Amino acid sequence: MTAEHLLEIRSLKTYFDVRGGVLKAVDDVSFTIEAGETLGLVGESGCGKTVTANSIMRLVPIPPGRIAGGEILFDGIDILKLPASEMRKVRGNKISMIFQEPMTSLNPVFTVGDQVAEVIQLHKKLSQREIRDRVIEAFRLVRIPAPASRIKDYPHQMSGGMRQRVIIAMALACNPKLMIADEPSTALDVTIQAQILDLMNKLKEETGASILFITHDLGVIAEMAQRVAVMYAGKIMEGADVDTLFSEPKHPYTIGLMGSIPILGIGKKEKRLSTIPGMVPSLFKLPQGCLFHERCSGAFTECRQLEPPMIDLGNGHIVRCHKYA
Amino acid sequence: MAKNNIEKMSLWARVTNPEDRHPFFDQIEKLFKNRTGVAGLIIITLFVLTAILAPAISPHDPDENSLYDQLKPPVWNEGGSTKNLLGTDDLGRDMLSRLIYGARVSLTLGIVSVGIALVCGSILGALAGFYKGWPDNLIMRVMDIILAFPYILLAIVIVAYLGPSLRNAMMAIGIINIPRFARIIRASVIEEYEKDYVTAARAVGANNRRIIFNAIFPNCLAPIIVQASLGFGEAILSGAGLSFLGLGAQPPLSEWGAMIAQGRSMILRAWWVMTYPGIAILLAVLGFNLLGDGLRDALDPRLRD
Repeated sequence: MTAEHLLEIRSLKTYFDVRGGVLKAVDDVSFTIEAGETLGLVGESGCGKTVTANSIMRLVPIPPGRIAGGEILFDGIDILKLPASEMRKVRGNKISMIFQEPMTSLNPVFTVGDQVAEVIQLHKKLSQREIRDRVIEAFRLVRIPAPASRIKDYPHQMSGGMRQRVIIAMALACNPKLMIADEPSTALDVTIQAQILDLMNKLKEETGASILFITHDLGVIAEMAQRVAVMYAGKIMEGADVDTLFSEPKHPYTIGLMGSIPILGIGKKEKRLSTIPGMVPSLFKLPQGCLFHERCSGAFTECRQLEPPMIDLGNGHIVRCHKYA
Repeated sequence: MAKNNIEKMSLWARVTNPEDRHPFFDQIEKLFKNRTGVAGLIIITLFVLTAILAPAISPHDPDENSLYDQLKPPVWNEGGSTKNLLGTDDLGRDMLSRLIYGARVSLTLGIVSVGIALVCGSILGALAGFYKGWPDNLIMRVMDIILAFPYILLAIVIVAYLGPSLRNAMMAIGIINIPRFARIIRASVIEEYEKDYVTAARAVGANNRRIIFNAIFPNCLAPIIVQASLGFGEAILSGAGLSFLGLGAQPPLSEWGAMIAQGRSMILRAWWVMTYPGIAILLAVLGFNLLGDGLRDALDPRLRD
């Protein structure tokens, strides 16, 4: 099966039917991930990053959630149309997930080795011995020292950083083509965070897997991703390769985000860190027109009435803003 | 050499070193620090040993009757003899031997009926808690109906329908205990369902059966173990109750409840025929209740210091 892109999402819509209306957590999101590439998905809390990730894995609870439209093509196959049993063969095998909370994402009553072994057992027909070797190999890959003895540990015997390595080992165990990392470093302290990010970059080179990297941290994105998509209130606002996005951000929201990164030493002149005024709109009461116009200093009449289309600026740089029409 | 030493150490270290060991050992230690729990454990150990070793330790055949030794009092009473330490019943059967063999019946009854309740209750409760919605409603409403009947009355109804025998009494006690286990498991499963490791299990491609029984269920074991221990005592009590009413063990089987029923008419002439089985029931049930409470203290994370 050859496909143009490893993963192609076409106008994905994930809605939640809740009391008080329909919550459009992901609305008309499209992006692609190429083989061996890291795509960063940035946005504030509640902007739909995790729901996008869960939609790809088909882990959105139905009901209240539902996929209201769109296609998710993985290797040319629309995984939204796969039967549940086929989908289980994709999860953990071809697409795997790295979770945010290393402290709670491991089952407390099994050894970490058994938990990694289970993933392999689910997808590969191997003998116990081969599985064990493979688990140790995966532990070695994520640089867990003394893997042969660490596989016998229980999660509570490990530190947060070690547990996150185990979770990455689980994600890597079946050599997936795509790893979805949902804020993998957010729950760790900064030094461990740097180690984990460094590890993920190395692993990507060693295994050739693509990564969908979800975070709210622009600094992390700059280190990890080749291309970046900025999400706001369930929609993608801007997408570009990482250098373009950081050097020439076009969307006012992206510009605002860049401006709110603290820079060491610059404080003396500018005294205050700039912020984006206002609040993220409630998904129940989305504004008319551009979703960002209420917080945008450059908003004009059109912004309040018409939703801006996605505008292609060339070179893979897309932006959803009337200013560039 | 040094490496070898470390590996030899590690197993021992896992038991003794508080940093390194499996939480199971913490709980065992905690149970052993609990005096009532230990008392329960001792009583139950004696009870189980008695049941297993019954043929070896009982002085007589429990069913052997003797016309010459009818209603002999215990050895320390006037007219008692060392031949029958706890006296004999109206058929001249040795009380001590019958009590020892009675432990076998009670132990079997406890294992079988708690087993039925545990297996059925766990499966039903886990399904209800996991799938929620209509399966939950269906299962739990049936459980509510079972719970709405008075405990012993429902057992009597079931035994009356199936016919009085020890086997049917065990089944009846098992069935009426299903809701207790189902409720506990359901509550634990609902609580565990929200945890991240369940999503993680789904994300690696595990199917629902695997998620319920391999991932969630082992995390719900603590309350089940406690309930099983308490339920064991209760099952023995109910079994004795049913046998007392003539709906459980049938003569000549030596069962404690049946022995009490048999001695009831002679309480003024021969108090021992009824008293000793009563004490045996009391001790067995007490033992399981004490152990159950001890286990609850040891296993419940909320009660940890």
